[in-house]
Amino acid sequence: MQVPQDRDDDWSKLLKLVGGKRDRAAFERLFNHFAPLIKGFHHSRNSQAFSADAADELVQEVMFRVWRKAPAFDAGKASASTWIYTIMRNCRIDMLRRGSRHRDAASDIEVEDIWDESPEGQPLVFLQKSRDERDIAEGLRNLPAEQSHVLKKAYMEGKSHSEISDELGLPLGTVKSRVRLALKKLQTSLIRSGAE
Amino acid sequence: MIRHHPDQNMLLEYAAGNLPWAVSLSVSAHLQLCPQCRRHCENLNHLGGNLLDDSEPQPTADDALQRLLDRIEVAERQSAEEPRTATDTRADKRGSNDPALANLPRVIDKLVRNNWPLKWQRVSPALKMSRLKSGQDRYEVAFHRIGRGGKTAEHDHRGQEVVLVLHGRFSDADGVYGPGDFLVREPGEVHRPIATQDQECLCFSVVEAPVAVTGLLGWLVNPFLSFRPG
Repeated sequence: MQVPQDRDDDWSKLLKLVGGKRDRAAFERLFNHFAPLIKGFHHSRNSQAFSADAADELVQEVMFRVWRKAPAFDAGKASASTWIYTIMRNCRIDMLRRGSRHRDAASDIEVEDIWDESPEGQPLVFLQKSRDERDIAEGLRNLPAEQSHVLKKAYMEGKSHSEISDELGLPLGTVKSRVRLALKKLQTSLIRSGAE
Repeated sequence: MIRHHPDQNMLLEYAAGNLPWAVSLSVSAHLQLCPQCRRHCENLNHLGGNLLDDSEPQPTADDALQRLLDRIEVAERQSAEEPRTATDTRADKRGSNDPALANLPRVIDKLVRNNWPLKWQRVSPALKMSRLKSGQDRYEVAFHRIGRGGKTAEHDHRGQEVVLVLHGRFSDADGVYGPGDFLVREPGEVHRPIATQDQECLCFSVVEAPVAVTGLLGWLVNPFLSFRPG
């Protein structure tokens, strides 16, 4: 029988130290590596989704949550980068909703109720997943520019398909098919057989 | 078995955090019922993680790390001093005798708890609806409940409608749908859901704009009602 295999990359190891031992030195190394990437994801030549100040604020909030949530990090489920990505995405949704009049106290549904990454009730094959992650990294570098471009607009600039279609002056159907082609190239197992 | 799922594009918008709040609620509830889509979403999160790894690093503010360490220091001290408060102070006041509301996906269950007691509005002999506050107002979020064998009116939508079946089954001209099935109707697609005979059907629905009723009497009907008596 195969057992779930922990991620053995350095960042995942450091994150486990932060979670298990509340190791501040390990946290500082994580910060020095990930904070500039988080900022670059939202604000750089390639991505102007946030102003430099807003991106700095986001870095503070994301890394604060990384510290707080580190004890729940499961290296068998995702790498440090993927785990931090999900925290960052949820932070961004929170920031964009903050101050919005729709955030009525009566509803009380939190970002993490909807984007819920907790492991309850998820029978998954971990070994398979670690391979997926490497395949995605490899595939991402080999995508045609027009396909990686729409993925970056969706993830890094936070744009919906219809916003991308408006911005690039492309029909919505073209944006959708570029996304699907990109996913197909990234990994065939990303495509659910029989879906669509 | 779940046969109808959100498509690739919708899952990607969800994983990237760009899908409207109300639609994300439906996708999230579907994910809690569908290991296949859950796995797919995890891959989409890995894609996000890889894009983070490949980002062009930008120097953060000089005092960024110190500010954060100070904040952590303060937070740790506070949490050591204060007794832990309960995370959910709202008591669960529901009766537990409604089979349609048992075993809901976690996020829908929380929505029910926060909107309790549900106010059911009779739309037609076969159909009841209960609107839900969900923290947004771009979509109408509601439960629809069709009685055993109940027929609803044929209706069209001015905006996108997303339906997640939670309990029982219903059919329309295109097929039969059961728990976990996730359906997207685009504006202009007319359909007429009918519940199966064996049990009532509960659906979670999210509609972008008020639904238009088609047919001869359509103009008489309150446009804010989703269905006319059928």
